[in-house]
Order: sequence, then structure tokens, then C-alpha cells
Amino acid sequence: MAGSMEWLLLAYRMPREPSTPRIAVWRKLGGLGVAKLGDGLVALPADARSQERLEWIADEVTEAGGEATLWKATLMSAAAELALARAMAAAVAAEYRAVTAAASEAMATGNVMARTVAPLRRQLRRISQRDYFPPPEREEARRAVESLMAEAVVR
Amino acid sequence: MRWATRAGCHVDRAACAWLIRRFTDPDAEFVFVDDPEQVPADATPFDMRGVELSHHEGDCTFETMLRVFGLDDPVLWDIARIVHEADLDDERYDAPEAPGLDVLCRGLSMILDDPAMLALAGRMFDGLYEYRRRALLLGREPS
Repeated sequence: MAGSMEWLLLAYRMPREPSTPRIAVWRKLGGLGVAKLGDGLVALPADARSQERLEWIADEVTEAGGEATLWKATLMSAAAELALARAMAAAVAAEYRAVTAAASEAMATGNVMARTVAPLRRQLRRISQRDYFPPPEREEARRAVESLMAEAVVR
Repeated sequence: MRWATRAGCHVDRAACAWLIRRFTDPDAEFVFVDDPEQVPADATPFDMRGVELSHHEGDCTFETMLRVFGLDDPVLWDIARIVHEADLDDERYDAPEAPGLDVLCRGLSMILDDPAMLALAGRMFDGLYEYRRRALLLGREPS
């Protein structure tokens, strides 16, 4: 059985030097939460926002003297699609767990002030922007941060 | 003059259209296309891949336009900070207004066609300009 989703693939190649644009592109792709399929090949579930972001990154690659092509694709195997979605969910789940751990630690050490909680909230928002297959850890992290914030407001 | 951009306008294109109408070409006429090849010969394209008035070196199109048009109004550059973060969200600038502006523009583009969206967003940017102008004059957030 074939996969049921449409994916966007960015295939790109950039000169090794200068490294600054290469690192900038790499960071932006990381911020988008792409799945790394290989050297210079990344994937995202297709939607208008992902497409626009990847198009601009493709342009940035070209401007920096590299080559980039953007593809629309479906997986030939539903099992492979599930594995890809699970791997992406596992990556954000680890990030959510780190937020939950930071919130628990703040609660345990009594470091509960709005200004220490706000960055956790911001971090949570960033993670959820690259979260295409929300794992249960998302809700846990959200609850941990919000109860910490409630505590901070009470004090 | 005629200007062309991609259909389905969001924050960067809305800000650019407002900038064009208010600061460079009051009679601007906008054409919306799905593909770069549909841009009419007499229209200046913006916020499309591979054109001058577009994203360059990490800048959004609004920032590129300010540079290309030689606009050095500090209020416009202050708005550029917000538009950049609303569009690219790369934390280059501190712009707490950006997520709100992003959501409002996305919502408007869901309920309006492009000309109506640009007209309404234009008033929003008029308001944003006035607010940031007063903020810069006062050195604090106006009440």
C-alpha cells in the first residue's frame, strides 16, 4: 500500500566554503523540523506554509552559489511513511520532554517567576511550529509550563 | 504603474503593497499570479522567486523594498523588524508584535480575496505606522 500524504522534498547542494550561508540554511531547515533523508535531501509534509518556506530556502541556496530543486512526492510504502512520521514525532517528543524536565526542575527548586517561565513558553511555541505529528509529550509539556506559570502568577 | 505578485497574499506581500501605495505609487495597480511566467510584461514583480524585489540574503521583501526604493524613514524600518519576524520568524529581531500580525494576516487571507485583503491590511499598516511613529517619538509605547 502506498503512503497517503503528499511530501515536499528539497534536494540541495552548497559549496563547502564559505561556511556561513551553509550553516544558515542548515539552521533554517532545523527550525522547520525537516526530516533528513540523506546528504542534502530533506522532507516536510506538504502544505502552503512549508512550501513557501522551502522555496525561499531554495532561493537562498542558489544565491549562495549552490543548487536546489523542490519536489512534491508520495511514498511508495505506507509503512515507510508511518516510520518517517514516527521518527519526526520522536524528534519533537524529545524536545518537549526537555521542556517538561526544565519546568519540573524550576518547580522543585522554587525558581518560579514569570520571567523564568516565559522563555519556556516561547520554547514550547517554537517546538509546536515544527511539530507535524503531535506526540503525547506535547500536552504534558504544555501542562507543565502552564502550571508553573499559574504558580508564578500566584506568588 | 502595474505591480505583480503571487496570489494568496500574506504579511510580507500585504506590507509591500501598502508601502508601494503609500510611499511610491499612489495609483498602483496590483496583478495576482500563480506562476512567475504569468507576470504581465508591463508589471513589476515582487515577493516572487528570482526577482529583484524579493527575499535576499535573509531579508524579507519588505526590507529589500525599503533598500531598493531608498526609504530611510526610521518608522518604516521599525515596521520592517515586525514584518520580518511575522514572515520569517527567525529571531533576528525582537518583535513581540509579530506573532499577532502573522495571525491577523493569515485570518484575513482566509476570508477575503487578494484585493480586499490588501485594502484592509493596508488600513492595519496605516495604524501600525501611526502607533510605531508615536512610540519612536515618545521613546515608549503610546497609550
